[in-house]
Amino acid sequence: MTGRNRLSAPAGKLIDRDQPLTFKFEGQLIDGYAGDTIASALAANDVWVLSRSFKYRRPRGALTMAGQDANTLVQLPGRPNVPADLEPISDGLDASGQNYEGSLTRDRGVWIGWLHRFLPVGFYYKAFYKPRGAWKFWAPFIRAKAGLGRVSEDAPHGYYDKEYRFADVAVVGGGPAGLSAALTAADAGADVILIDENPQLGGALNYARFDAAGAVAGQECERLVNAVLSHNNIDVMSSTVANGWFADNFLSLIRGNRMFKLRAKEVVLATGAMEQPAVFRNNDLPRVMMGSAAQRFIHLYGVCPGTRAIVLAANDDAYGVALDLADAGIDIVVIADLRERPDAGPLSAAVQEKGWRIETGCTVSEALAGEGSRSVQGAVLSRIDGKGIAGGGETLTCDLICMSVGYAPVGQLPCHDGGQLRLDPVSSTFVLENLPDHGHAAGSVSGTHSLDAVVAEGARAGWRAARASGFDVGDEPEVPDARGAEGCNHNWPIFPHVNGKDFVDFDEDLQVQDILNACADGYDDIELVKRYSTVGMGPSQGRHSALNTVRLVTDATGRSLDEAKPTTVRPPYTAETFGVLAGRVFEPVRYTPMHHRHLEAGAQMMVAGPWMRPAYYGAPDVRDQAIRDEVAAVRIGVGVLDVSTLGGIEIRGPDAAEFLNRMYTFAYARQPVGRSRYLMMCDETGAIVDDGVTCRFHERHFYVTTTSSGASNVYREMLWWNAQWRLATDISDVTNAYAAVSLAGPQTRKVLDQLTEDIDLSLEAFPYMDVRTGHVAGIPARLLRIGFVGELGFEIHVPSSQGEALWDALMSAGEQFDIRPFGLEAQRVLRLEKGHVIIGQDTDGLTFPAEANMTWAISRKKPFFVGGRANQVHESRPLLRKLVGFAIDDPKAPVPEECHLTLQGNDIVGRVTSAARSEALGRIIGLAYVAPSQAETGATFPIKIGTNRFLEATVVPVPFYDPDNMRQEM
Amino acid sequence: MTSVTLNPADFTRRSPVYRELRDAGARFVESFGGAIAEDFMESAEAEAKSAAGLALADLSLLPHFGFKGRETVDWLRSQGVDVGDQDNVAYRQEDGVLAAKLAPREVLLIADIVGRSDLCARLADSASIEEEVEAFPVPRGDGYFWFLVLGESAPAMFAKICGVDLRSSSFGELEIAQTSVARMNVVIVRCDLGETPAYHVLGDVASASYLWACLLDAMEEFDGRLIGHGAIRHLAGL
Repeated sequence: MTGRNRLSAPAGKLIDRDQPLTFKFEGQLIDGYAGDTIASALAANDVWVLSRSFKYRRPRGALTMAGQDANTLVQLPGRPNVPADLEPISDGLDASGQNYEGSLTRDRGVWIGWLHRFLPVGFYYKAFYKPRGAWKFWAPFIRAKAGLGRVSEDAPHGYYDKEYRFADVAVVGGGPAGLSAALTAADAGADVILIDENPQLGGALNYARFDAAGAVAGQECERLVNAVLSHNNIDVMSSTVANGWFADNFLSLIRGNRMFKLRAKEVVLATGAMEQPAVFRNNDLPRVMMGSAAQRFIHLYGVCPGTRAIVLAANDDAYGVALDLADAGIDIVVIADLRERPDAGPLSAAVQEKGWRIETGCTVSEALAGEGSRSVQGAVLSRIDGKGIAGGGETLTCDLICMSVGYAPVGQLPCHDGGQLRLDPVSSTFVLENLPDHGHAAGSVSGTHSLDAVVAEGARAGWRAARASGFDVGDEPEVPDARGAEGCNHNWPIFPHVNGKDFVDFDEDLQVQDILNACADGYDDIELVKRYSTVGMGPSQGRHSALNTVRLVTDATGRSLDEAKPTTVRPPYTAETFGVLAGRVFEPVRYTPMHHRHLEAGAQMMVAGPWMRPAYYGAPDVRDQAIRDEVAAVRIGVGVLDVSTLGGIEIRGPDAAEFLNRMYTFAYARQPVGRSRYLMMCDETGAIVDDGVTCRFHERHFYVTTTSSGASNVYREMLWWNAQWRLATDISDVTNAYAAVSLAGPQTRKVLDQLTEDIDLSLEAFPYMDVRTGHVAGIPARLLRIGFVGELGFEIHVPSSQGEALWDALMSAGEQFDIRPFGLEAQRVLRLEKGHVIIGQDTDGLTFPAEANMTWAISRKKPFFVGGRANQVHESRPLLRKLVGFAIDDPKAPVPEECHLTLQGNDIVGRVTSAARSEALGRIIGLAYVAPSQAETGATFPIKIGTNRFLEATVVPVPFYDPDNMRQEM
Repeated sequence: MTSVTLNPADFTRRSPVYRELRDAGARFVESFGGAIAEDFMESAEAEAKSAAGLALADLSLLPHFGFKGRETVDWLRSQGVDVGDQDNVAYRQEDGVLAAKLAPREVLLIADIVGRSDLCARLADSASIEEEVEAFPVPRGDGYFWFLVLGESAPAMFAKICGVDLRSSSFGELEIAQTSVARMNVVIVRCDLGETPAYHVLGDVASASYLWACLLDAMEEFDGRLIGHGAIRHLAGL
């Protein structure tokens, strides 16, 4: 058996005693069993301090054993703030405490706690904001002292992903109500997903005591769990936390590294209730814990949590705790019942028979700390003299204090989608209201605590959910009147101590006086108190502080209990990692059919919209030379560029020409079949948004190309407009169906001649701007005699499945002419030499054609095109800027960069849009926006290239290269 | 079973994922104008057996062809194609071809699983711009990759990358989902092979390699594997 505190079976239903494991905590080897959590294994070995508190560095240990509090947060390598009472142990695990200097047991920073009187709530705001700049001085110190775990920048990347789930009925919570609901819904035929954050189903049935003999829970658990696990309609998701409930029953679930997105027709909330702490001095010491935590230690992990226990009681369940403790061999020192006249429940009756000491109308007013506040060595038992008043009393020796003074519903989830919690003065706990549509609640989350009623209520919720999902159900299950809803919570389990350390919020080390001070400072609303004091803002998000804070604030401000509500509850329910939120990242990328050929040729690829395209071919350290060589190849010999990324759209039907006339600025009605024509598209504001070429293959058939990044936008715009125009035109995006290359250079015709038999490539038969269909290398092809780079050239469009074969054929046929693939960088230089603009680079979202000297592409004779009217307005006004070609003849001048500013005097008038050093022209050339008065040929303007650094540029005509277009039309 | 294989790059038509298939050990045979993965050096029976869990195959070189236009459905019916009125349903033809009705004016024809039918080719030839019929061919055979995902675990695998419920209880035989998988648009057509659930996945051929990798990644959890056309024929009882 591992650990001196380990109990014999059957205690410890979660641990496998045949699988011993060893892990490290604070550098010490710790033994445990498979199924143990870090906290349970440590407790079995009598290690009770797990971490240090956020502000005062107080030793903290297990409070709930349910992962609901911040006391148990420990550090794992690469993972801070891991709940030790949830995290399973494994061989080799290396855990440590958090927020200490030196060692966990002997923290050098513990002195901060001695100063607590000088660190009241709001002291940050009062102490560190003056003089100006003081906060900058203090912040690093404060942040170093306060805090949780540490994020490791060396943490390895994990694999996170997401998954969608669907169900007729989602049941959140695998306790008796949830199990019952799932069974009823599933029996009706519903497809049910049952979610529970624990590794085992059963909820409180696994550890709580519902009868004096302690037999009912086990029997009921076995019955319900077996039925659920064997039901074909129920999908059990254990170890899964439901972290958010969003509109239309969209639940976010987290299990390990995966987030599930569950959409359910109906949701049954059966999340149960959390025990709430009593407030007294030193109520945060290790081994001051919830009664249910002690029961979890015993029943789930087989760990004995103490030897002499005091049970602080305010309900019958506390007596069940006492019975369980006694069964585990723990001496019951006293049961201090806050109630003056306790109800005679079955469990208290059983305890009465034992003859143990029971003190009614009493409380623990102080837990007495052992050495270093690392343990409990006793308690002061005091008589309650009034609301929250308990002084003096009897000192008792004990090493365990269990608190069972009330519950709060785990009702956070529905509050994410409109639900609300309200303090009910009768039951002295929160009640859940305004459940989301198609949401149902059952069990202790709705205030029902009697086991029979809980199971029946679960069945009724499952029945209602199944019926709402459309399933044929029988009669509605009945629920007993006796729900056990009242008498569970004491209305004031708060006993402030003159020396403080009476914690309301363990996460933030907030004491009773802190809350009262916040009210006294004028923050008289619970939301303001929260923000001023930070109550409820720690890792546990107020699960154990909200109820007592509401009580204190309501009392301090004289408000009615009927109005009392906790602060707004927002998702997520528990902390979630960035990895879970990010999940598996999907970033679709598009490759042309020739992509691998580019890689094989040494291309440096670049992202171009959704595409990967070759920037240039060669090593990065010879980039500039590679680009120059590619440019030269096109100017002197022949080059080939992959232009498969260009958009391709088929426009077909009787109204095809009319459609293009409306969409684009030029005229297309009379475009001859077999010819291509430039396209420019404007938006409704008249701004240029795309360009391309249209090829007319038939009176009713145009093939339109678009820019690479604009294809999907153009297609969408076309569909949108034609949905209104209703022209007899079909618009099909065939971008991905065609691979395309641009073959350019003086030797182009010689290369292509080898591969074509059914197309006459001569100038006479196939003049500039003509288009043909035929075959290239036996591949069906569309040939466009166009040239963006200013040389003899053909664009060849072929079915994409044959694109790589076309590339191979061209490279083979061009070998004798030293054919060379060229990339986008060379293309940019080549087209700049021809003065061709790139939409999106030489234009922006506001550029209209007159600014870019492109009014030549506007037909003035047609009645309408998109953006036509706006352009009329633009043209009726004086230009504010104009795109010009410029040259810089200084051979030593640097090449201006895109977006370098152009000036007129001290005024910014425009920017450089493109610039390059042209080997063919022997100088720097570029395009830039300047003031209209600077746009005359020969005018000069300054370009600002840095702080007090300017270049003088001269406006020159475009095209810069081959102004008579002799080379491209040869 | 022979170990002789062909080089897909020796053919003019090439699958967008032929490198992935080759690197995974595919044995290629000539078919549909290119080289298709016949098997992965296992018998068709063995591969088919493994497909019961989860498997992926590339059918991109098999005929698939689209038609669009306001007269598409009437024209296809006039050509003898059985197309119903309901959208997002695939209509199975007598020769096994599926006429997937994507929209009132759009139909995607996908070949029978072994590509024996000549319907796609015949219709592609018949549809001429000269006919003045507003039923226009769309070269989906080149624009769309075509993958086949098979096996009982297919819906669970899809659940990791697709927001549509593709479980048998929600997504029946011959239903179509035009949706997003791993953030890219695809058409999913369910058409089981015998007792084996089968999902045809068609989408942008330019992102074929991307989605192929995503599918393999998602399949790993379920021990999914690649299978060849031999296994598919076996599953289809052919």
